[in-house]
Amino acid sequence: MHRINVILLKEWRESLRNKMILFGAIFLPLFMVGAAVVMVYQGRGIDVPGAQIALFNMALMYFLILPAVIPLAIAAYSIIGEKEQGSLEPLLATPISDLELFLGKALASVIPALILTWGSFGLFLGVSIPLVGGIPPHVLTPPWIAAIFGLAPLLSLFSVGVTMLVSSRATDARAAYQVSSLAILPGIVPLIVYSSRKTLVSLFLVGLEGAVLIVASIIVLYFAIKVFRREQILTRWK
Amino acid sequence: MIKTQGLTRRFGDLVAVNDLNLEVEKGEIFGFLGPNGAGKTTTIRMLAALIAPSSGEATIAGLHLGRENRAIREHVGVLTETPGLYKRLSAIDNLLFFAKLYGVPEPRKQAERYLQLFELWDRRDDLAGSFSKGMRQKLAIARAMLHEPQVLFLDEPTASLDPEAAKVVRNLIETLRSEERTIFLCTHNLDEADRLCDRVALFNTRLVAVGGPQELKERLYGRRTVIHLADPHPGLEDALKLSFIKKIERVDNTLIVSLSDPEEENPILVKRLVELGAKVQFVNELRVSLEDLYLDLMEEDHAPN
Repeated sequence: MHRINVILLKEWRESLRNKMILFGAIFLPLFMVGAAVVMVYQGRGIDVPGAQIALFNMALMYFLILPAVIPLAIAAYSIIGEKEQGSLEPLLATPISDLELFLGKALASVIPALILTWGSFGLFLGVSIPLVGGIPPHVLTPPWIAAIFGLAPLLSLFSVGVTMLVSSRATDARAAYQVSSLAILPGIVPLIVYSSRKTLVSLFLVGLEGAVLIVASIIVLYFAIKVFRREQILTRWK
Repeated sequence: MIKTQGLTRRFGDLVAVNDLNLEVEKGEIFGFLGPNGAGKTTTIRMLAALIAPSSGEATIAGLHLGRENRAIREHVGVLTETPGLYKRLSAIDNLLFFAKLYGVPEPRKQAERYLQLFELWDRRDDLAGSFSKGMRQKLAIARAMLHEPQVLFLDEPTASLDPEAAKVVRNLIETLRSEERTIFLCTHNLDEADRLCDRVALFNTRLVAVGGPQELKERLYGRRTVIHLADPHPGLEDALKLSFIKKIERVDNTLIVSLSDPEEENPILVKRLVELGAKVQFVNELRVSLEDLYLDLMEEDHAPN
C-alpha cells in the first residue's frame, strides 16, 4: 500500500505540471456544469409531459461522460510520459511489484476523475436547483444516485483499462488518447441512448449498464494487468 | 557477489545471451565489454531481476535469481543506458520518489546526502528537465545509489557526456571502489575500462575472454620490448642468439622483442646488442591498449572456424 501511495503522489505531482491534463481536468467539468445548467434552466418553462425528466436525464449523462473521459489523458500521459522519458526501466528496477505499479497508475487516474465528476455534479445541483425552483420529481431518486455513484467508478475503471492497453502499444500520448477515446465509446453509447428517452431512470437500467460495465472492465483490466508485467514492458512494449 | 551458471536468454529464435558463466567478487569493478547488440543490456536486466533468463542460474548478493527477485532489486542499483529522470519533477523530488520506493528510512536526509555529494544541492529545486546531460547523469547515478546497494550495475555511465562530466563520473566510480561496493560496468569506452576495472569480460552474445586488463593483454600478446637503434644494423636479429627471446620483429631501425620476463631479460638483451655494435637509443615496453586487445579478440571471435 505504501508504494501505491508513492506512485499516486508522484503521478499527481507530474499531472499538475502538465498543461494538457490540467486543461482537460478543469475545463471539461466546468463546461459540462455550464452546459447542463443552461439546458435545464432553458427547459424550465416547457409544458410538455416528461420534458423536464428528459433534460435532467441528459444532464446526468453529461456527468457520466466525465468519469470516462477525464482518466484518458491522465493515464495516457502517465504511461507514454514514462516511455518518452525512459523512466520505466529505473522504476521497474525498484522493489515495487507489477501489481502495485499498475494499481498506483490506475488509481492516479480514477481518483481525480471521480472527485471531479462528483464535485461538478454537486456544483450543477447547487446552481440548477435554485434556478429551476426546486428539485423536479423523479430526479435525485435512488436510481439517479446509483447511476452517479455506481456507474461513474465503473466507467472510470473501464476507461483506465482501455487507455493502459492502448498506451502499452503507442508511442505518442495524443494518439493513445484519441484511440482510447474511440474505444470507450461502447461504454458510453448506452448512456446516450438512455438519456434521450423520457422514461424514468430506473434501477433496472442502471443495474443493466453496471453489469455490462463490470464484465467489460474485468476483461479489459485482466488484459491490462497482463501487459503490465516487467518482462512484457521491457521486451514487448514499443 | 555475482555468480552465473549457464545463464541464457532467448527472444524467439534469437539467442541474446548464451551460456554465460561469470563470478564477480565483492568490491570488484568488473567491466563488461562488447559491441552493440552483444547482449550486455539483456545481461544487466537479467542480473537486476528485471527479466527472467530462459535457462541457467544466478545468485546476486547471495540471493537466487528467479526465487528472490524482489530482494535482489532491493540490494542492487541500476543505472540504465538513458538517465530516465522525471523531467517535470525537481531533482530532489526525483530522488525522494525513488528513496520512498526503495524504503529508505530517512529519504530526505539520504537525498540531501547524495545531492551534496554530486554537487547538485544548489539545483535541488530545479526541474530535472532543465539539467545538462552531465547533471542528469549524476542525478541518475545518485538515484541508483540512494538505497546503498551492494551491487551497482552501470550501463554506459559516461556515454554522451563531455570529457569534464565523464571525468566526474569516473572519479565517482573510483570513490565507490573504496566503499567496497561491487560495480558491474558496461561501457564502450575501452580506455575507461582499462583505467577503472579490476577485471573485464569481453562479451559477444557469449563470453569471449575474462581477466584483468593487463593479464589479458599479456595472455594474448606476451610482453614486448621496443628497442630503437641509431642505424639499421642489418643481420642484428640473427646475431643476437639469446634463448629467452620468443620472437623478434623489425620495423626500420626498431626491434620489437617478445620476452617472458623483461625485468630480468632486458639488461642482458641490451648488453648483447651493445656488444654486437648496435647503438641503442631508447628501450621501452610496448604498451598494448585494451582497444587493440578488444578489436583483435572480437575479430577472432567473428572469424569463420
